[in-house]
Amino acid sequence: MPTTASASFTSGADGGPTSLVARLSSGDPDVKLRALREVKNQIIGSKTKKLGYIKLGAVPRVASILSAAIADGDNVVVQSAAALGSFACGFDEGVQAVLAAGALPLLVRLLDHPDDKVVDVGARSLKMIYQSEFAPKYEILERKSLEFLVSLLNREGENVTELGASIIAHSCRTVEEQKTMLEAGVLKRLVSFLDGSVGQRDASLGSLAAAFRNNAEVITEFMGPHGGKPFNAIFRLTVDSNPKTRLLACQCLIVIRNATDCYVQELGFKRKLVTTLLELLDDPGQVGDECPFVLSSLVEGKEDLHKIALEADAMVKLRNCMDKENVNPRRLRGVLLALADLCSKLESCRSTFLSMKVLKPLTGFLNHKEEDIRIAACTCLKNVTRSVKNLCAGYFMKNEALVNALILLLTDASEEVQVAALGVVSNIVVDFTTHKSMFVAHEGMQQLFCLSKSMVPAVRSNALRALRNMTFLADDKCKEAIYLGMTPSLIANLIRDDELSVKEQALALVRNLVDGSVGSIEQVFADDSIILDAVGSQLQCCPNAEVLLQGIYVLGNIACGNEIHKEAVTCLLFPLAGRGPEPFFVNFLLSSDSRLRLATIWVLINLTLPSPGALKRQERLQNEGVLSIVRSMVNDPCLDVKIRVRTLLTQTEHFGDF
Amino acid sequence: MEALNVPMADTPVVTFWEGEIVDIKNYTFFTGKWEAMPDDDIKHWTKFPSFAPFQSQVQADGGKSLDLSNYPFIFMRWKEQYFVNVGTDCGLTIAGFYYVCFSCADVTINGFYYDPNSSPFQKLELKSANEGKTGFSFSSYELQ
Repeated sequence: MPTTASASFTSGADGGPTSLVARLSSGDPDVKLRALREVKNQIIGSKTKKLGYIKLGAVPRVASILSAAIADGDNVVVQSAAALGSFACGFDEGVQAVLAAGALPLLVRLLDHPDDKVVDVGARSLKMIYQSEFAPKYEILERKSLEFLVSLLNREGENVTELGASIIAHSCRTVEEQKTMLEAGVLKRLVSFLDGSVGQRDASLGSLAAAFRNNAEVITEFMGPHGGKPFNAIFRLTVDSNPKTRLLACQCLIVIRNATDCYVQELGFKRKLVTTLLELLDDPGQVGDECPFVLSSLVEGKEDLHKIALEADAMVKLRNCMDKENVNPRRLRGVLLALADLCSKLESCRSTFLSMKVLKPLTGFLNHKEEDIRIAACTCLKNVTRSVKNLCAGYFMKNEALVNALILLLTDASEEVQVAALGVVSNIVVDFTTHKSMFVAHEGMQQLFCLSKSMVPAVRSNALRALRNMTFLADDKCKEAIYLGMTPSLIANLIRDDELSVKEQALALVRNLVDGSVGSIEQVFADDSIILDAVGSQLQCCPNAEVLLQGIYVLGNIACGNEIHKEAVTCLLFPLAGRGPEPFFVNFLLSSDSRLRLATIWVLINLTLPSPGALKRQERLQNEGVLSIVRSMVNDPCLDVKIRVRTLLTQTEHFGDF
Repeated sequence: MEALNVPMADTPVVTFWEGEIVDIKNYTFFTGKWEAMPDDDIKHWTKFPSFAPFQSQVQADGGKSLDLSNYPFIFMRWKEQYFVNVGTDCGLTIAGFYYVCFSCADVTINGFYYDPNSSPFQKLELKSANEGKTGFSFSSYELQ
């Protein structure tokens, strides 16, 4: 029977890894050197063994070997430096262990060693460290550090120049740092490496991307004087024989495209980027894992690229990646997020995606053991469920497995997953027909009530959004269930919540609850009008336009009720007779936001529509100066406001010229 | 859209439709599909009195320099895509589409159905109904 992986790490000849690590501290130099070589050879390409030796304390012992070797001029330097580089290579825990052992300055000292072989191994090991996000930030702006960095780029030796480029890729983040790279002539030097070795090209592409990221000024200042040659040099690498180079070249071009309109705008360039990335999806290694993320950065938020990607069968290719067995979580996450981006705007993309029978696998990913996958699946579903066409058909709500899986996620241990699931639920409950019953039967509504009381603001506001969407044009039965589950006191507290997004969604929920029969409006007066008071308080003091908009629509909808309801709204707007309207009301009428002006006019239209008390209210509006303000709006620049002002003035024409 | 009192259906018939707003930029007065020729377009648009000011320009050059953004009427085409709650044997057809005019001022919608295989110029007339309420109320939803 074969041994397990951990068993094979701990057993073996010469007492195994524990004994080997002990020999790293041997007083006999030969024993020490042999042990060093053996550790180095064992850990190459094996994260399991790297982790095993780290846990046995091998890294600090190797670092101290290096320290002594440098001091003594010992030839063990190369082996110990190489071993440290191997620990750090592609393994974040290894990088952290090497840094914790204090090995970084030791390795830097090797760069000035008279022996080129030592310089080379030091540079290579440092490069491994700087390829990790856990490497310390290099202070590019500090004069001596900048000089040192420039010197690395100007030295012989590929590993040394690649190290310089890796440091830039890792640490060049701010606008000032990017400008410094430009002014120090570093970018020009990096472009010259694009004709160099594979390692130099790849390191250079990564560092150029860092120097250009979100900085149109640096890009145009650099590209301009060179007649576009640097751009062409990067573009040529999109057809390089090395997949990693192709990926990095695409990434660099995308960074340029996202920063400025001056480059990569032609259709041909965009198509080339899309097709290159779709081909790279087939790479079985790290390139294929990272490719979907690069594709996302290209297409995110851009309809033109969604169309190009659709024409290039991106949906099919990504869908095929989803289907592969044992696809690694990183790649799967990237694929789901890329699909989410492609479905974010265009109905044609969503329709194509849905036609590929994707709900079943996506539902499966909602149960994935990795939290990141569950979130990515929710993100993908959230964008797909923006399809009003399919919402109207009840396509999602009729899918019991999907509804069930989503409701389960509402009780996920991770709040991030809960928020992501709420995003999908918010959309699918906007069901313009009557398919909500399955959601209610699976206790979905109960979960939403519970989440509206969460300590996490994002969970509260998203749960409220889902409830709001559920009550859009809903019948009284649905609304009663919500009042029962939430209570007036809870609703009022949510309206008064500290978070603006929670306030907004709570008010929007109330707006929908009171859009309906007289009975549904009555609830707002329960418990001594606690909900209405909360609405009034927000209208008086909240500075946020989105909150105010929902609040004023609550009043407008209540004003569609009976005389008691209309009078309640009137009292809220004019609390003291003869003292004019509440200041907030006048501010809304005169607001620079046309939506607020319009919503406020609707309140007045509803208060003055023919009804038993309408004339009295019209008189009050006239006497309190409101109608004269409205008359001044008769040529409002917003067409909707202008039309409704004229509607209102026609209704109240007894009270003055119009 | 919900059609009531449909002879061959037990319940009101609900259809899902998608609309195109004629803004000259994204959609012009000329349909260019659904078997509607430019002549058909002009014949239908001219049935709306509110189209009169634009007729000559539309016939001359498609109305490409018109600015409809401040006009208190909105011209649209509505195309029903599928039946939501009944089968295709309900006795109604959704093969054609509607030429529609929405009046912003009095909140009315008028339309004419176009389908080469149906009787021409069947009318659609919609008015705002407050369903027993004394006022105009608005619900909202927000897709994530």
